[in-house]
Amino acid sequence: MRLKIIRRKETRIVNVILLYVIGIAVSFVLGGIFLSSLGINPVVYYRDMLTIGLIGNYYPAKSIEGLLKLFVPLLITSLALSLAFKMKFWNIGGEGEFITGAIFASWVAFKLGDSMPRIVVILLMCIAAFISAGLIGFITAHLKVKFNTNETLVTLMLNYIMLYVIKYIGETKADWNFFLRTDSERPVFARFPENAVMQGITIGNFKLLYSVLASIAIAVIVYFYLKRTKQGYEIAVVGDSVNTARYAGMNVYKITVRTIFLSAALIGLAGAFAAATSGTISTDITNNVGWTGVIVAWLSRLSVPVIGVVSLLISVLQYGCQAASASYSQIDHNFADLMQGLFMFSILAAGFFSHFKIVRTGGKNDD
Amino acid sequence: MAATDYAIEFRDISKSFGSVAANKNINLNLKKGEILALLGENGSGKTTLMNMLSGIYTPDSGSIFVDGKKVVISSPDDAGKLGIGMVHQHFKLIEKFTAADNIWIGKKGSGLVLKKDRYKQIEQIASKFGFELDPYKVVANMSVSEKQTLEIIKVLCYGAKVIILDEPTAVLTVQETKKLFDVCRKMKESGHSIIIITHKLNEVMEISDRVAVLRKGEYIDTVESATTSELKLTELMVGRKVDLKIERAVMEKTKPLLEVRDLSVNSDEGSLAVDNMSFYIRGGEILGVAGIAGSGQKELCEAITGLRKVNSGKIVHKGVNLVGKSAKKISAAGIAMSFIPEDRLGMGLAPSLSVSDNIILKDYSDTKGIFVDRKKAKQEATDIVKMLEIATPSIETPVRRLSGGNVQKVLLGREIKANPNVLITAYPVRGLDINSSYMIYNILNEQKKKGVGILFIGEDLDVMLALCDKIMVMCHGKLQGVVHADRTTKEQIGLMMTGAISLAEVGGKKAGIAKDSAFTEEEWEEATDMSEGSNET
Repeated sequence: MRLKIIRRKETRIVNVILLYVIGIAVSFVLGGIFLSSLGINPVVYYRDMLTIGLIGNYYPAKSIEGLLKLFVPLLITSLALSLAFKMKFWNIGGEGEFITGAIFASWVAFKLGDSMPRIVVILLMCIAAFISAGLIGFITAHLKVKFNTNETLVTLMLNYIMLYVIKYIGETKADWNFFLRTDSERPVFARFPENAVMQGITIGNFKLLYSVLASIAIAVIVYFYLKRTKQGYEIAVVGDSVNTARYAGMNVYKITVRTIFLSAALIGLAGAFAAATSGTISTDITNNVGWTGVIVAWLSRLSVPVIGVVSLLISVLQYGCQAASASYSQIDHNFADLMQGLFMFSILAAGFFSHFKIVRTGGKNDD
Repeated sequence: MAATDYAIEFRDISKSFGSVAANKNINLNLKKGEILALLGENGSGKTTLMNMLSGIYTPDSGSIFVDGKKVVISSPDDAGKLGIGMVHQHFKLIEKFTAADNIWIGKKGSGLVLKKDRYKQIEQIASKFGFELDPYKVVANMSVSEKQTLEIIKVLCYGAKVIILDEPTAVLTVQETKKLFDVCRKMKESGHSIIIITHKLNEVMEISDRVAVLRKGEYIDTVESATTSELKLTELMVGRKVDLKIERAVMEKTKPLLEVRDLSVNSDEGSLAVDNMSFYIRGGEILGVAGIAGSGQKELCEAITGLRKVNSGKIVHKGVNLVGKSAKKISAAGIAMSFIPEDRLGMGLAPSLSVSDNIILKDYSDTKGIFVDRKKAKQEATDIVKMLEIATPSIETPVRRLSGGNVQKVLLGREIKANPNVLITAYPVRGLDINSSYMIYNILNEQKKKGVGILFIGEDLDVMLALCDKIMVMCHGKLQGVVHADRTTKEQIGLMMTGAISLAEVGGKKAGIAKDSAFTEEEWEEATDMSEGSNET
């Protein structure tokens, strides 16, 4: 007897939901075994995790704010990546583009933060991030269309380049380096001037940041852009068949470059939001959204509404794991990462089995 | 004795893929030393059945007997041991190896050492059956026909007694097909049994001893080839009476609509794909283009529609030179192309997009504003679906879910919608069954009656002879001549396709062949005047 993986002929929605439920249940059970072996009551831990530590918390508003801080960059990055993926352009350079945006936003923050009104500073930070990261996208798209380079490799390598650029800035004490604190002997990133910090609407003791509203607006725009506009239609055609697009008289170069510029620019914008929200930059500012965004985009099958839901769920998982692990001495944030990985893996496996199944093949004389 | 009369017997074989039954209770047998044709439309289960014989699939139920013994074939290896060999449509050869090495590498018990005598061995087997094959030749340098020959010799070398040929003639010219059939007869004489999968009826009649017919996964009947007719076979295959005649409407001669003069175009690799070609299409005329696959047909189509750079020459449409114009402008001038390349959906359609989104592919940008006018798209899609009787669950269904015939109709429908005056269509019935093919011929004929000039790039010479008014033959990008379909033969076109005869330079002086040439001096002059006149104004 042998086992073979075959594609399912039809996927029924009931089966798909069932598979995801099973997948999540499996990860809960596995996580529960880990937790029990460490002497932690899994039920309590999961309750804390799923309620992102809201129960028994004196500052529930802070938990929501913390959750949204994870959610905004992930949502924008996933949306931006789905633009590129829809065109079958494998932009895995989210990390690099995010860092680029953050660096240029900080540049504006440090240079102009003291001399200009708040709204102008924040807007200029966003524009700087948008254009700088967009140019990174432009370069990869240009190379791809003109010289048929492999965009996966190019965007991957740019991730490392940008990571080392930010590390260099963060670790180099020099006169030119206005990114660092001047009052510290050791190289430490400085805080932005007050005017360069993201503001929001205060509701009681909860602060709804403008970046949250902006990210939701971006989601709505991307949805209509892909569904209703001519440019969105062009993206779908180019992604489906470049030959067909050429045949229809489309300018594939223009469409590719425009779309990837937009994709990278939006990720850069997410970087600017992240920097402005935390009021500084750091070498781990991306929180891996460049990678997590790839997973979100694919889990959602590039559907904008689903991306919104999945980004939120993953943010809950991330923040919840951190919040829950904070109350136990046996575990640290690494355990939260482990739990998160477990869940993601189960969800991806469920996604796989909703499209494929394993069947037994072969007759009696098979071994 | 009865048990060993048959080389292969299928008993109650069934095979399903998911909920789709590909084969239902098939009972079929192959006599020793006979050529059995396996006939059926697309999706009738021919290939599935043969794949079970060659060990690629295993049956869900039922049993296979080889030489009267019940066997279980669970891998191609098992099939090989039982003396069953299959020559697939897509060759499985190593491009960089010589013919002999390709055979040697898969041969059981050939050892690890490359012996010099392997070339001799293969030459001997080849000459025994009348094959022409140079064992030293590298596969990459072989023609399609040579590669096929090599595949057959390979199967013979591995000791196959039963040989399955999956649509072997699809890639061959008339002459090459003849050669293949001669070889088949030789193999038969030496005691081999052959199953040949095909849907070309005339070939079935010519080569086979018996014909087994499948329809929608079910076994229908096996008939003696000598006592049947093409019409009878079609009825068995389709399940009802079918009119096999293709009409050819006679239209009044009009002035040339599209004229191509001294056109040269490069291929993707940079070699000359279309070499100094001149021809023209009149309105209300179907001009067939015959040629071995890869003779420059694709490049010619792309050049006319502005998708490929033209090296030199003129393409004059209604007195305007199209060379250098964008694909969009050319399309706006009324030149439509439905090109179906090998993978069918590769060009002209976006397979994952819906029927209605595909319908608007060429004119989505004509509306004002940044939004796509989906209302209009839906209306047009509904009209086309109705007009051409496209079988689709809805106009929102992705085209890749449609069957081949319906995909072709979507493509043709969109091109016709724009009311073209020149329609370029390549392989419009490739892979389609008889019904769908005739539907397409009808559509083309209707366009012709409306006065559209049609360039029909085809493969099946019988169809081209029946459908086209004139046939232009290409060989290695060169024009071999243009012949009137009602005054030529398949053999002549076949010879022109291989470059054996050329009517390109004949000016009506040579008797016999020259009469068929469409190019009289007056017509040439007329064409020249027109194109030159238009350039001046």
